[in-house]
Amino acid sequence: MVALVIALALFFDFTNGFHDTANAMATPIATGALSPRVAVGIAAVLNLVGAFISTKVAKTISGGLINHGQHGIEITPTLIFAGLIGAILWNLVTWVLGLPSSSSHALFGGLIGAAIVGMGFNSINLSILMSNVVIPAVLAPITAGLVAFLATRIAYAVTRKRQREGFRYGQIFTSSLVSLAHGTNDAQKTMGVITLTLIAGGIQSEGSSPEFWVILVCAIAIALGTYTGGWRIIKTLGKGITEIEPGQGFAAEAATTAAILASTHLGFALSTTQVASGSVIGTGIGRKGASVRWKTAGRIALGWLITIPAAATVGALAAWATELGLVGIIGDLVVATAIVVGIFVYSRRSAVTSHDLGLEPTQFVRPKKRKKPIQGGARS
Amino acid sequence: MIAWGSFLIVLIASIIGACGVVTLFSLGLRFAGPATTNTGVRHALGITCFVLCGLLVAFGVYLIIPAFHP
Repeated sequence: MVALVIALALFFDFTNGFHDTANAMATPIATGALSPRVAVGIAAVLNLVGAFISTKVAKTISGGLINHGQHGIEITPTLIFAGLIGAILWNLVTWVLGLPSSSSHALFGGLIGAAIVGMGFNSINLSILMSNVVIPAVLAPITAGLVAFLATRIAYAVTRKRQREGFRYGQIFTSSLVSLAHGTNDAQKTMGVITLTLIAGGIQSEGSSPEFWVILVCAIAIALGTYTGGWRIIKTLGKGITEIEPGQGFAAEAATTAAILASTHLGFALSTTQVASGSVIGTGIGRKGASVRWKTAGRIALGWLITIPAAATVGALAAWATELGLVGIIGDLVVATAIVVGIFVYSRRSAVTSHDLGLEPTQFVRPKKRKKPIQGGARS
Repeated sequence: MIAWGSFLIVLIASIIGACGVVTLFSLGLRFAGPATTNTGVRHALGITCFVLCGLLVAFGVYLIIPAFHP
């Protein structure tokens, strides 16, 4: 059972990686600052590095959402197993729909569903659910949107039109920062899940930090996922919401980085995915002449709204099946594998690859080349 | 319930951080970016802006890596 949960946790880590590539790399790919392959390569390396440099490990995977211990539910490998199935399936559904949704919320949702089946609604701490998940989910895109809006206004007020291509170089740095911050946070979650499973299974002593091999495999899983590239979500975030120019991309990434760093260091946790999506919307409002496709934005918001209930439903079903014993667990696995394969087969029918994201040559406007002769002419 | 105070601090810090980086980089582009013909003081000013922007980004890296601030 423990080995099974570890395998599932690593698969979740992988889906987390390719789901969240878009947060950092959608905008530089959209503006042509980085080619798609190079972008996901950088993101993968930074996620790998990020997983190693952070030592703080999520001690409670659910962040207090689930009452456990003496007065609550006991977190068993079986419960984590059911929760992970919910999280993975929901991550894949949102991926095939191209929706940027929070992987952490999917994980919370799956675990909540599994806990409700095990212990009833008393096992859920509703006030923490509101204050740590629901309200930040509303505030994150608004905050990031406002910051990105202001940053975009500044960028376009200060620079002249023909200088704005220069923002491409800046984008490389800001998007890399987002990737690094992501790696230090998200690989931690899976390490926390695996370590808790090992502790619950009696293999590791309570309160100890993760084994080195756990850190290693988690880092590799998230980096592989990132390199695979969730092109569908990158397409939504980079091209679906608004047309992004280099200046906007730079402003949006600066806003995303600032909001993530401020929230992790000043104690008001915001979801990376929601911050990144908010930034893109904000920068779309900020540039004159750009339009935001609110229909797409609405679809994304709807996705956020149902992430926790949907993952919880799947988690609950999986947990209910595990109560049948070994047959249930095998049944869970068979059904989950069938759905995963089904989603992949379905996704092939309208595959989105890195080739769909390259810029058309005509989309580049290089005013630099056109202006130079005129300048020279005026001088002589 | 909701820690509105810390939310406000996060909002203000994000605005200062993001707008700071963007302002400095934009000024750098304006004075010393490609397609500019500035020389002397203005060019140096632009370079200074880029350097300051780089320092802010380095501060971001410092914040991300926990080993630097135990």
